Amino acid sequence: MAVHIRSLRRKIWQALSSIKTGVVLLITVVVLSAAGTIVLQRPVTDPDEMQRAYSPQVLRILDAVGLTDVFHAWWFVALMILVSLCIIAASIERFPNAWRYYARPYKSPDKTFRRALPIQKQIPIADEETGLVAAERSLHELGFKPERVVQSNHFSLFAERNRISEMAVYIVHASLLLIFFGGIVDALWGWRGFVKLTQGQQSSLVELRDGKQKSLPFAVRCDGAGQENYADGTPKKWWSQLAVVRNGQDLQRKEIVVNDPLVYGGVRFYQASYGPTGKLEKLLLTARASSGPGEKKDLALGLNEIASLDPDTTVQLAEFIPDYVVSDGQVYTRSTSVQNPAAHLLVTSRKSGKHVNFWLPALEGFAENAQSPYEFEAVDLKMGYFTGLEVSHEPGQWAVWAGVICMGIGLTFVFYVAHTRFWAVPVREANGKYTLWVGGLANRNREAFEERFRELVSKIEAELKTQAEVPARTRVPSIA
Amino acid sequence: MARARVEQQPAATGTTLIVMVGLGIAFLLFMAFLNVVKSGNLLNESNLLYAALIFYAGAGALYLGFGVTGTDSYVRFASLATWAGLAANTGAVAHRWYEAGHPPFASIYEMLLSFVWTLAVLTLIAEKKFGVKVIGTVTMPVAIVGVVLMQLLRTDVHPLVPALQSTWLHVHVTLAMLAYAACALSFALALMFLIQDKMQNETFLATTSLFGIGVYLGILTRFENWGGLSVVGWNAQEKSEMFLQRGVRLFVVIPDLGWLMLLVLLVVAAPFALYIVGRMRKNEALFTLANRAVFVSILLQIVALLVFLLRARAGQYPSLDAEGLYATSLAASPFILSGLVSGIFSSLLYLLLLWRRPDLERLLPTAEALDRITYKTICIAFPLLTLMIAAGAYWANRTWGSYWSWDPKETWAAITWLVYAGYLHMRITRGWRGRRAAYFAILGFVVVMFTFFGVTYLLPGLHAYA
Repeated sequence: MAVHIRSLRRKIWQALSSIKTGVVLLITVVVLSAAGTIVLQRPVTDPDEMQRAYSPQVLRILDAVGLTDVFHAWWFVALMILVSLCIIAASIERFPNAWRYYARPYKSPDKTFRRALPIQKQIPIADEETGLVAAERSLHELGFKPERVVQSNHFSLFAERNRISEMAVYIVHASLLLIFFGGIVDALWGWRGFVKLTQGQQSSLVELRDGKQKSLPFAVRCDGAGQENYADGTPKKWWSQLAVVRNGQDLQRKEIVVNDPLVYGGVRFYQASYGPTGKLEKLLLTARASSGPGEKKDLALGLNEIASLDPDTTVQLAEFIPDYVVSDGQVYTRSTSVQNPAAHLLVTSRKSGKHVNFWLPALEGFAENAQSPYEFEAVDLKMGYFTGLEVSHEPGQWAVWAGVICMGIGLTFVFYVAHTRFWAVPVREANGKYTLWVGGLANRNREAFEERFRELVSKIEAELKTQAEVPARTRVPSIA
Repeated sequence: MARARVEQQPAATGTTLIVMVGLGIAFLLFMAFLNVVKSGNLLNESNLLYAALIFYAGAGALYLGFGVTGTDSYVRFASLATWAGLAANTGAVAHRWYEAGHPPFASIYEMLLSFVWTLAVLTLIAEKKFGVKVIGTVTMPVAIVGVVLMQLLRTDVHPLVPALQSTWLHVHVTLAMLAYAACALSFALALMFLIQDKMQNETFLATTSLFGIGVYLGILTRFENWGGLSVVGWNAQEKSEMFLQRGVRLFVVIPDLGWLMLLVLLVVAAPFALYIVGRMRKNEALFTLANRAVFVSILLQIVALLVFLLRARAGQYPSLDAEGLYATSLAASPFILSGLVSGIFSSLLYLLLLWRRPDLERLLPTAEALDRITYKTICIAFPLLTLMIAAGAYWANRTWGSYWSWDPKETWAAITWLVYAGYLHMRITRGWRGRRAAYFAILGFVVVMFTFFGVTYLLPGLHAYA
């Protein structure tokens, strides 16, 4: 029984780590994501449109299978997890070999290796030391740092560059896992919502995408918001002046614009929209006593605000209707956009306690404008504006960006940095003469490397020539 | 060699091709002349673009001529013309940048402008550095289609809406253009590899036919409407598409054009059907018939293009969603237009191959070299694609608060990335070389094109402005 389980485990492991499984999974991901772009997706498309696009039966089937929300369906998440497992398994399977290769570089080539290496050259030399010195100098000139490796009774040379390139592919795969990890963290613990604020208002409640509300441990206050336009009237910039408030204290202030959010405690506030609330902020009026040539007096009233006109008389803004319509003897609000505004003022005498309904404009049947001791004229309307803030919390995004950076570095190494190695071994031939065996290997971009190898060989040959011209006694004493 | 050429095809047909190209240039020159007269201003963006167009067209003709006759002096003049076109193109890009105050990546027009520029640069690099001389035969027609499309799209500088005012967007789009241009190059190289790898003409025939079928099927499934062709209405005053309401385009129906497209689809599909039957019955005579069918299909495709041009440019058409008659414009249907034009181009390229294959084979680098260069181009394209997606995600995160929202453009960018990742895995770990690798490279480019055009015009989505 135990054997069975072990062999089954082995089988699963082999299947997971094989490239074939990887490719099959990749194809499945591709097909399913493509399906997710062709079938209309649920949260983005509104339900009406879904019903228009598909017949009820088809829609029921699509919903049941999860094709209307592919990227959040359990099977898609499972597939992504499977892909991650596959990458992990494949990396673990191949890593030890690569690590051995990386950690213990092959420095002293043996006979078989020397025979089999495709890029190599034999250069005749006078003795071991001249050959080694010439090769050392040439390698230095090419920017390498050759090291002497002890063979059984003599030295050989080894020089390499960018060994890290052998490991780069693991960096890329690890970074992909890091990105997945960040995405999963965000899917589990992240949230997105919306806050609507008018000037001066503060709130710590966020309306989440699924309709629920979330309470933040701090509040955000809007100190001002606005829009700038291009000459042709299209919006150029939306801005909001925000402050983070906690226990009555301002902890952070920032003017945010689209593309430049406010970040506090892992929660980010984005400028998403801007528009009129349909509510009045101030109504600017002038008042003039009805009897006699009185002075004009400027007033600014918010809703329900009271201003006194003289010691006896006060005026209150009782109602403001942005778009009124009169029907069946009543005043109705048709819409919240300021198209046909009406204001209801209440003029009160303190002494008599008498109220007069003053309407702007004078609506027949409601207005008692003639009885009012004051006449009012509307000058301007200051409407309230709201700023719409998209709020998001993505605790996993740091993993995502770290993954992206690692992937950039990894890919650079994978594609553009080659691990190059050179070996130089002085060999004593059967006839007693010495030759210098020079070999090289690069893990990518072979043509460029061959060019470099030829360069090295010609440098060594030139070096040997100059050494031969210098009289033997002035030569540097050999280290050996 | 000479004998091979005689056997291949009588010399007259080569001349016919050159005459056809010459007529095309004359037509474009005429268009350019009209525009200069209209604007009365010599050094502005559109004139620079026309200059670029003429030079690119000249270069394309010369590259084609080189492909046909193998005269080496042609290619010298061709790259000279490409240089001139590139200079004019650079001028147009600079002018646009200066005028708009931001790098030219904001609309599909501006992106095409940058794309064509990149393509020309890459063509010259491929020619000078890698010695792939005939690459212009493929890339120059693409550049020409790009510039012609630009003439039809709206050109006024539009101010950027707040979401698009970000350096990261520019980074994202620059990377996208570079990556896509590199993918285009790898596609052209893979095709050349297949030529050098002695792939049979019939297979090319079948693929060309399949491509045409894809184009016309795409047009029909998306735009066909009771025998008519549904296209977006065009507001001539505002130079913009017409909208029923926010985000919902107004479609008008050009009657009978759908039937014509259906007919063309059948004719375009004929060579493929003949090929399949010929393969099954092992009847070589059917292949000859299929080649004849290609001629007919080219003629009909040109007719379809002309009819579409004429009917879309002028005339008022009814709409199913609103009362009254509305105008449309070529600019309103870039997908249909580029589909029709590229269908014709691919068929013409097949003819070039059919007639002048030995010369092409003589002029192209060896199969191994092409295989290697294709791989190298993808090695450039893949990191660019990665960075492009990353920059886009970063921008989206700064703008909307989420780095990945699975909208169709994003998803298809990821699919493109996966396809090329698959290519690299198969090549590096499985040692895929030659044919299979070339097929993969071609598939990659098909997906790139779908991401670039198809997603915008065939699928619903959020990347509406690009």
